[in-house]
Amino acid sequence: MNAALALGIVAVIVIGTVSFALLSLRRFTMSPQEYIVGGRGFGAVFLWVLLAGEIYTSFTFLGAAGWTYTFGAPAFYIMAYGTCGYIFYYFLFPWIWRLGKEHNLLTLPDLIQVRYNSRLLSTIVSIIAVVALIPYITLQLSALNTFLTVAGHGLIDPVIGACVAFVVIIAFVFVTGLRGTAWASIIKDALVIGALIFVGVAIPIQFFGSPATLFDQVLRAHPDHLVLGGLTAPKGTLWYVSTVLLTGLGFFSGPQSIAAIFSAKDENVLRRNAMLLPIYQLIMLLVFFAGFSALLIVPGLKGTAADQSFLAVVSRYYPTWVLGFVTGTGALCALVPSTALLLSSASVVAKNIAGDLFNIGTDERGRLRVTRLMVVVLGLGALVLWLFYRTQLVDLLLLTYNGISQFMPAYLFGAYWKRTTTIGVAAGIVTGITLALILAASSIAPFGLNPGFVGLAANIIVLVGVSLLSQPARGTLPEPAGN
Amino acid sequence: MQQRLRFLLAAIPFAALSVAVPFVNRVEPRVLGLPFLLVWIAFWVIITPACIWTLGRIEKHW
Repeated sequence: MNAALALGIVAVIVIGTVSFALLSLRRFTMSPQEYIVGGRGFGAVFLWVLLAGEIYTSFTFLGAAGWTYTFGAPAFYIMAYGTCGYIFYYFLFPWIWRLGKEHNLLTLPDLIQVRYNSRLLSTIVSIIAVVALIPYITLQLSALNTFLTVAGHGLIDPVIGACVAFVVIIAFVFVTGLRGTAWASIIKDALVIGALIFVGVAIPIQFFGSPATLFDQVLRAHPDHLVLGGLTAPKGTLWYVSTVLLTGLGFFSGPQSIAAIFSAKDENVLRRNAMLLPIYQLIMLLVFFAGFSALLIVPGLKGTAADQSFLAVVSRYYPTWVLGFVTGTGALCALVPSTALLLSSASVVAKNIAGDLFNIGTDERGRLRVTRLMVVVLGLGALVLWLFYRTQLVDLLLLTYNGISQFMPAYLFGAYWKRTTTIGVAAGIVTGITLALILAASSIAPFGLNPGFVGLAANIIVLVGVSLLSQPARGTLPEPAGN
Repeated sequence: MQQRLRFLLAAIPFAALSVAVPFVNRVEPRVLGLPFLLVWIAFWVIITPACIWTLGRIEKHW
């Protein structure tokens, strides 16, 4: 009975959000521009909602709470890196947007193509981007499964539940495109704020009286939990600095982020978002409070159980409808970002691989049709990957976490340094990804540095070195970013 | 002069949240009961929008 109520609430939240977002379809005639980058018409607030919707996934919240529970202070980097990133993006976004507008670009490889004029480089970038994104979509399915398991208590098979929900999402992306994701984000963001105020404010107050007493008790039970380790220790201060720099500079490099930049109405919409998005980072404080509370209330959990520690608190001490509300919100945090990831990877395959390489679907109607077909193909691909190869997922995700941010020097140097060459960028990306993957896969962290950061540093050194030794990019070279 | 101000408005919060953190890695003094490291990071996250807003004013974007 209880499980049925919780699952019913989850279903109402998911179906309600999908139906609400379907309203977005009125008034707009579908074209590739409209479908992939929202017709380049999003204003500041709408884009803010979309970005908050696609950046903060179920794993941002589960992972942040789990890290707080297991490691403590190292989790604080999650609040810092986005903010560092937005300072830097204030300068970079307008340049990316301007190129997109002038050349009518749709995807990340389009941007690389127009700046470096090399079909080989843009194809390499397309393949890396898609191969890195699919496991990330698959990961969201695992999170969805977690939320359904917690809500359902075995009433229905959560695997079947996750499959049904995901097929609904594929159909949803097929129909609506980026505008649908933005509309769904409105509900998702509102529910997230509600759920976090509950787990991050109500729980600490109810169990400990105030955040201050919560931290008193954490200090008593785990004296080292509220500061970082030594300089070169694992998750020490050097690790913190390198991770903030890597993730701050790199987290906006993926195809879904570039599509979101292109969807802005004008440059100032992006500058305003760089200003406003740090405010959203503050909700991470509530996640930290929830993680520390769970550490004291349900101690001793390890691994994925630690990620779900605050769910354990909710399901043990609160009424079923609260559990349904929190898990339903969690399910949206898995589904809404999946729509953006799916749409952007499908558009890369349709535009840059099927279209540019094989001349399939190059007119407006053809491109829309191929993109939608790819939404279904890649979506089902992610589902199959999850159903049959879940255990290998961890290895694939190394590419997601270490690979995508290696694109950033291509934008950064492309914008500010005229001497940047195609071969320099290609050599940099290959070096960076290879080095980061080798270090990450073998768990080597020189001086406690984040392996992705070591890769990024090597990437930049190789990019600059090779660029100085080779001829600048051929063809039309767009103006570097001024002010 | 204005060039330097623009640089500082971006560089100070950026550095405060990244390279400065090893120097503020401590629990005391606690503010409202929260450990100092967390307060430091949260403080700069709150200040950053004000810095970017000022930057946008100087560059006459709004």
